[in-house]
Amino acid sequence: MVHSVQAQKAKAKIVPDSIKAPLFNGFTVQGDLISAISSLTSNGDTYSYEGSLQADFKHKYLPVFEFGYAGADKLTSDNIGFKTNALFGRLGLDFNLISQKKDKKPTNNLFLVGFRLGMSNFNYNITNVSITDDYWGGSQAVPYNNISTTKVWYEIVAGVRVEVIKDIFMGWTVRTKSLISKDADGNVTPWYIPGFGTNNGSGNTAINYTIGYKFQLPFKRKSSVKIKKPNAEIKALTKIGNNNQQTK
Amino acid sequence: MKKTQYILFVLCMTLCFSCTVDESCRTNQSVLIDMGMYHINQTDTSRTVAAMSIDSITVRGLKYDATSKKYLYMDSVLYNNLKTITKIDLPLHSFDSVSAFEVTFNSKKITANKLTNKNDTILYLNKRDTLIVKHQNTDKYLSLQCGSIKVHSVDTVLTTNNFIDSIRITNRNVNNINVENIKIYK
Repeated sequence: MVHSVQAQKAKAKIVPDSIKAPLFNGFTVQGDLISAISSLTSNGDTYSYEGSLQADFKHKYLPVFEFGYAGADKLTSDNIGFKTNALFGRLGLDFNLISQKKDKKPTNNLFLVGFRLGMSNFNYNITNVSITDDYWGGSQAVPYNNISTTKVWYEIVAGVRVEVIKDIFMGWTVRTKSLISKDADGNVTPWYIPGFGTNNGSGNTAINYTIGYKFQLPFKRKSSVKIKKPNAEIKALTKIGNNNQQTK
Repeated sequence: MKKTQYILFVLCMTLCFSCTVDESCRTNQSVLIDMGMYHINQTDTSRTVAAMSIDSITVRGLKYDATSKKYLYMDSVLYNNLKTITKIDLPLHSFDSVSAFEVTFNSKKITANKLTNKNDTILYLNKRDTLIVKHQNTDKYLSLQCGSIKVHSVDTVLTTNNFIDSIRITNRNVNNINVENIKIYK
């Protein structure tokens, strides 16, 4: 009798307390609201429109491909102009830190931390740059036209996604960006890098507020129904238990 | 959770639209050749070099006039009888490879006299030297706010020897980082 109790306890310890999620849980298509709204309100100085495609593996590993179109048409107070526009892409992986507990209601919400590797190949023009010699006299225009460059950067990201309506997710992402391909002193550096933002030579921070739709695969929909099964089984077992007590 | 999300969203949007970008140029844009004044004190056994303070100095730029084939004074004076000077910072020509200056010194030099065992004071009044700096000019882009500047690489420096004994180029690169480029010895 004592042995059987110990064996039961040992079995109870082996049983994990988290729900084992299927390998593939579909993918989410997301669009960023903040970049779109700020593009409309920045008087055309800078603009950026971006979206992403994120897969969900085991509800824990979420590889993501972010893509967009961004540019700048900037004129400084000294009339120096900067113009660029290009596509950009970021590839990365998010980790969901929320684990599904058996004793709690299953949630599709995500608390994500991750990283990205971003890249953009673009051309830019800097106009109306001139050098004036205040003492000896003379002035010279210095044109910087159609300069081509490729910039690579990495990002550390953190954010949340909340399922507001079934399969529709909203949430924010905070990201710190650091350039990998930096310019040497004296190089004609771009003022704006599509996908990275304004280039101050070091890092950058950004925030996204996204809205997205999760496409669940048909077999996943069936499996999500199965999650409710244990509750039904428990109810059925309790009913049987009650019936047995009544018969005794 | 939804309420927190909403508050965070409003906060972030406020932050995004309330910030203005500072567009002022914070980088040093002046490119000047730095010339330090040094005094050589030579005895039978030793030779020491020390920084020298000039009592007063006047510096003017000289531009070459091709028609008269003469150097003419620039309108503005770079140093106008400035007192107690240990170094001078001068602008090089941005669009020409030769920059010329006339430097007028008023100074004194104290040297030990072995015969009298006292110090001798030698006065230099209105001693004029012409400095000619030959250099190469290159464009250097700073930023969108600051634009571009001309930086220089010094090839040779020529001088008359009314006050100046000798000259040494210590750093050929003249840019917006203030370092000593030339040592002027008396």
